[in-house]
Amino acid sequence: MQHLPIFPILIPMLAAVFMLLPPLSNSINRHRVFAIAVMILLIISSALLLLTSHEQGTQMYILGGWQPPFGIALIADRLSTMMVLLTSVLALGALLYACAGDDNEGMYFHPLFMFQIMGINGAFLTGDIFNLFVFFEVLLIASYALLIHGGGKQKTKANVHYVILNLVASSVFLFALGILYGTIGSLNIADMASKVRLLGDQEQALVKSGGLLLLVVFGLKAAMLPLNFWLPKTYAVASAPVAALFAIMTKVGVYSILRIHTVIFGEDAGALAGIAIPWLWPLAILTLIIGAIGVLASPSLRLTVANLVLVSVGTLIIAIAMQREAATAAALYYMMHTTLVTGALFLIADLISKQRGKAEDRYVVARQMTHSKIIGITFFIAALTVVGLPPFSGFLGKVLILQSAQGLTESAWVWSVVLLAGVASLIAISRAGTTLFWRHSNGSNDSDPIHPLKIIAVVLLLSASPLLVIFGGPVTDFTNLAASQLHDTTQSVDALLIGGNK
Amino acid sequence: MLNTAITIATTLVCISLILNLWRLFKGPSRPDRILALDTMYINSIALIILFGIASGTALYFEAALLIAMLGFVSTAAMCKYILRGDLIE
Amino acid sequence: MNLLWVVLLPLIGTLVPLLTERFGRNVCAFSVALLPAWSLILVLMHVGEIFDGEAIRQTIEWIPSMGLDLSFRLDGLSLLFLLLILGIGLLIILYARYYLSDKDSMGQFYAYLILFMSAMVGIVISNNMIQLWMFWELTSISSFLLISFWSHKPDARKGARMALTVTGTGGLALLAGLLLLGNIVGSYDLDTVLASGDLIRAHAAYPIALVLVLLGAFTKSAQFPFHFWLPHAMAAPTPVSAYLHSATMVKAGIFLLCRFYPALAGTDLWFMIVSLTGLITLLLGAYIALFKHDLKGLLAYSTISHLGLITLLLGLNSDLAAVAAVFHIINHATFKASLFMAAGIIDHETGSRDMRKLNGLMKYMPHTATLAIVAALSMAGVPLLNGFLSKEMFFAETLDQSMLGSLSWMIPLLATVGAAFSVAYSLRFIHDVFFNGEPIDLPKTPHEPPRYMKVPVEILVALCLAVGIFPAYLVGDLLHAAAFSVLANDVPMHSLSIWHGFNIPLFMSFLAMVGGITIYYNRRHLFEFQAQFNEPDAKYIFEGAVQSLIKFTQRIMATLENGSLQRYVFLMLLFTLVMSAYPLFELTQNAGSRPQLPIDGVAITAALLLIISAIATVIWHRRRFLSLIYLSVVGLIVSLAFAKFSAPDLALTQLSVEIVTIILLLLALYFLPQSTQKESSNRRLSIDLTVSALIGCVIGTICFAMLTTPLNSISDFFIANSKTGGGGTNVVNVILVDFRGFDTLGEITVLGIAALGIFKLIAKMRIYVPTRDDKGRPWTKDRHPLMLAMVSQSLLPLALLVSVYIFLRGHNLPGGGFIAGLITSVAIIQQYVANGVLWIKPRIKVDYQWLIASGILMATATGLGSWIFDKPFLSTWFDHFHLPWVGEFELASAMIFDLGVYLTVVGAVLLILANLGKLTTSERVDNKENV
Repeated sequence: MQHLPIFPILIPMLAAVFMLLPPLSNSINRHRVFAIAVMILLIISSALLLLTSHEQGTQMYILGGWQPPFGIALIADRLSTMMVLLTSVLALGALLYACAGDDNEGMYFHPLFMFQIMGINGAFLTGDIFNLFVFFEVLLIASYALLIHGGGKQKTKANVHYVILNLVASSVFLFALGILYGTIGSLNIADMASKVRLLGDQEQALVKSGGLLLLVVFGLKAAMLPLNFWLPKTYAVASAPVAALFAIMTKVGVYSILRIHTVIFGEDAGALAGIAIPWLWPLAILTLIIGAIGVLASPSLRLTVANLVLVSVGTLIIAIAMQREAATAAALYYMMHTTLVTGALFLIADLISKQRGKAEDRYVVARQMTHSKIIGITFFIAALTVVGLPPFSGFLGKVLILQSAQGLTESAWVWSVVLLAGVASLIAISRAGTTLFWRHSNGSNDSDPIHPLKIIAVVLLLSASPLLVIFGGPVTDFTNLAASQLHDTTQSVDALLIGGNK
Repeated sequence: MLNTAITIATTLVCISLILNLWRLFKGPSRPDRILALDTMYINSIALIILFGIASGTALYFEAALLIAMLGFVSTAAMCKYILRGDLIE
Repeated sequence: MNLLWVVLLPLIGTLVPLLTERFGRNVCAFSVALLPAWSLILVLMHVGEIFDGEAIRQTIEWIPSMGLDLSFRLDGLSLLFLLLILGIGLLIILYARYYLSDKDSMGQFYAYLILFMSAMVGIVISNNMIQLWMFWELTSISSFLLISFWSHKPDARKGARMALTVTGTGGLALLAGLLLLGNIVGSYDLDTVLASGDLIRAHAAYPIALVLVLLGAFTKSAQFPFHFWLPHAMAAPTPVSAYLHSATMVKAGIFLLCRFYPALAGTDLWFMIVSLTGLITLLLGAYIALFKHDLKGLLAYSTISHLGLITLLLGLNSDLAAVAAVFHIINHATFKASLFMAAGIIDHETGSRDMRKLNGLMKYMPHTATLAIVAALSMAGVPLLNGFLSKEMFFAETLDQSMLGSLSWMIPLLATVGAAFSVAYSLRFIHDVFFNGEPIDLPKTPHEPPRYMKVPVEILVALCLAVGIFPAYLVGDLLHAAAFSVLANDVPMHSLSIWHGFNIPLFMSFLAMVGGITIYYNRRHLFEFQAQFNEPDAKYIFEGAVQSLIKFTQRIMATLENGSLQRYVFLMLLFTLVMSAYPLFELTQNAGSRPQLPIDGVAITAALLLIISAIATVIWHRRRFLSLIYLSVVGLIVSLAFAKFSAPDLALTQLSVEIVTIILLLLALYFLPQSTQKESSNRRLSIDLTVSALIGCVIGTICFAMLTTPLNSISDFFIANSKTGGGGTNVVNVILVDFRGFDTLGEITVLGIAALGIFKLIAKMRIYVPTRDDKGRPWTKDRHPLMLAMVSQSLLPLALLVSVYIFLRGHNLPGGGFIAGLITSVAIIQQYVANGVLWIKPRIKVDYQWLIASGILMATATGLGSWIFDKPFLSTWFDHFHLPWVGEFELASAMIFDLGVYLTVVGAVLLILANLGKLTTSERVDNKENV
């Protein structure tokens, strides 16, 4: 299985291509069956990759046999494989939900969905910064197309904003890459990390510019202040499975900040160590605050959830800004939890809005839901998780992050902001829940029964929440190891340059 | 001798490029501007060929070939646009 | 024994009612009681050991990295609370069986109730602070569900949300406090924390930790100023109130104070906050209780008052006071639970809880009345009942403190005043409800409840009496054990007996009795006095506060997130500017050590053309066609620059991309307005101009500095290995298809996705087709001019030939699949333009979508082929061959890859352009099947 590391990229890619060709290309039903089968295969291979990487050490896949730093290498370490597995699980949930009918509201849903996953997985796995750009493009272009899935004025408008902002960001990405290559002379992330220490003063100033420009790019993906304003409306109008899948998109940004600013500009980078940190602190805290304000201000469930994404991004970036192993480990745990639960919440919001007639998911009195019991239970669990109340995963993530801030000068900020955001979410979500489920007019309801696949999808994503608590021990052990692997330059830099283990 | 010729020719082509741009600005009609652009394509071909002769390599001639071929397509498309609006019918 | 089961059994029991609900009410109630009863038996089996002063512990490792273990500890305090929680809980189960109506979902109710019970059990036997907090929040959540059980009532919803918000927020404060404590001590293990009291009290963070923990306790125990949620929680069914607001939920805060007593108590700060809060709550609750007309409202405020009393006792920093507090916990739980249940019976059998209507019930329900009267007397602190004993101890303790200095005398006085009000409202409860004439238009005719509904009340009232008469015999050991764990050292001598002789506490009791009767007797004056104040309804205040918070946040969001793309892009560029510019302050000199190339006339001309046409593009951007022509000039000059600076591949690519882009834009422009209005104000324009100019300057500076700095890069490797390793002399192409073929694979995928995406977008479009040009002139009639058609047709074979040529030589000379693909597609598009869709249709029968897919597939398959030779993905192979007639030639796997690139490019470009063009024709794509 020496080729395992590239499977998470090739499987969705080939699946997408096959779905564009006969005999699959003309039948939505064949697409569905094929896509689900492929997604299960993807989960299996991602899990295998994670296990291999966990047990046998970082797997490096050298494309074309060109040794780093000259060729492109995929790096399957604990962090990247974890993200890949997370993506696959989330994607299966979104896919199952889509197969209940949403996939038929526009063309090419399944191929685009697969391309999207290919891009995301590629961005996680690559160890080359230009290749990262390429996969950013793959995932972006697929997301542009998926965002308009279903059509309509709102989606088109949101998409125009999304596309234009991301095009600007892509140009900035290229500027940054040009600057970094023009000064460091390499594109391999590990190689760059080993070379930045040796630069002269002149080059250092330039590299700093380039490195901070990358922060702009990743910041837009992650929706960090001041680049966050596009997110709520975009996510809120996207069709449900797409919004659910997009829960991982902000994490791509967060992941990239983590990878680049911990490995290249980490502790060993000399004068360039931690160049982004002074910026990350205030921006992360403000993002969290804006997110919390947005959560309170949202007039509909989907907007609330979208703003909760901002809260989670703020929290994650705070953890990155701490630049400690424990904080990174906490962030990784939080990342798993928040991605899956936000995904589930987007799906639940869609279930709710389909049941409430014209009121959709807005917080107004509307007719009663016909299937309020099952939706209510899932909503309740998701709400507790996302607010950070026990016994679900949200509280573990929150406590881990609070714990990891102990002893820092900024810890008072971290604690108060994280906890107050929790209060804001509590107020908003309890208001949302009571309004959506309990305040209703006495109209009859004729909404269609819920497709069982939709319920399965929601339950699948939501089951992560208790599981992450029950298996909290092994999971945190893993995230601790992943964090220490990332922070340890002998593992995250040096080991990747001698030639790999193949 | 050749060098002098190339220098003179290059200078002239550069001047005409600038004049083309001036025509582009001045217009006044759309066909004038399209024509100005088309002439710029042609002058660019000349510039590339001259550059190729000067540096003694044929490496650049494909670029000239491409400009010749694609410049035509672009000009034709623009003309079709002002005539019919719709390019492909 | 396995302490885990004590909490696990009820937790499992949560599911029982949902399963047994269908078997009828009796079976359901009975089955629900089983597991908690079992759990209670488990606890009782260890009473002996605990009375001997032992504590039982059990730890199961869970999440070591955050210090969270499943850790349990059963000591005196836990035992006391467990008896209350499980004992009273069982009585409540029985009571609720009769209380709930047929309309209520019994299974759901019991499930919530048992969930709550498990959470409470969890709190009191936790030996790990984080675990304790987990259960703590679980009580908030389950109480939310219980209070909102009648969710169709707005009161219930609002009350539940208020309770959840207040206690949940307090819970978060508590979390912070506990984490802080854990940080101070270095462990979340309660044993360790409780043993480190001195360390904690001496720590600089002690005041913060204390305040945070107290916030948690006070919100939960409804202490002033957080007391307001409790009366509104009375919207819950009465069994819930009887359980939550007598023995459990509100006692959780008290439990917390007791639990952390060894670690946190003993300082002046503790005294100031805890005792003063307790005192204020005691007085406020007692005073308001008197004016409540709602039975449960009276009991709710009385609960607040009694909780204040316990808090005050715990705040006094005296060991004996702590003992008294523990004792009062027991007593309050018994009499208050029975009173709530009695109130529930009255409500149930009369249909009202309004004391202005409920009168003279003694006649209708003598049995219930007797029970309620006894319990109320206990609440008033009448001798021979348990309430008297703890109140007596309370008075004694208030006398025995001197912490307010010269003002200390006020505490006993205020305590007596509070007790007097307590007597007064107890009297009101007894007199108004059971005597005082006849009932006034009640919805139902009152009568005794079902027999078994009274059993729980009877048991509790019997306990009140028994404890009141034989205190030492009945609760002596329990109290001692509990006090032992609160104080964490020896319990001071205290005597549990009814008679202590004539002393000041007895006198105070007497005074309170007389005062209470006097107050009640003169209540009309007081009521009149109170009536002149507008009583604020916490519900409206709370709701108003939430609403204004939401309005406020909405205003903020409206200003920040105004939906303007211009603003978002501006912010992004501003951020970009700051990020890129500020490191440059460290850059001391712009020019590096590399020599600069000479400048010649051609370069100057090109630069001039480039700059002018770029600026012109921007200036005339509102006249779109004009702007497009200038843009073409920019593209042309850029390709010339590429050619000049030894990048012929780039020049070729740029040229072909240029043409494709122009055609694409022209196609789109047809559907768009030819010119647009000026949209930005001059001010905005100048700001935008400034930012973009600054960014230009910064990037220019960076470029200059970078290009003049010598660089040691990996590109030397590519040049050195291109021929030997990649089999080609054109390094650019070898990089594209070999060294970094993976990037190329990604990029052609991007192209393919873009094509699919655009196709997806336009498939749904219905757009306006202009019939005249922007000047209002009709379009010419000649659709396909003959000249153009002829020239274009003859161009096609030529262009295809050039494509093949460019493709084949790509590996060694400028060219390759990408450029060849673009040339081919441009040539085909030219046919579309010149001859129309209908002409093409029978001539080109290729499905562009398949073309894209097979292109990507071919490129990928080339990569996969290397697996056969056990090489990593995209490893290439090449060799040189000799054939007669043809001569020496090279075959490389990279060529197949490049062919994939070619096909994808052709497919993608044609899919986009042809379909965009077809929008106006009868051949347009229709969205018949969405695959």
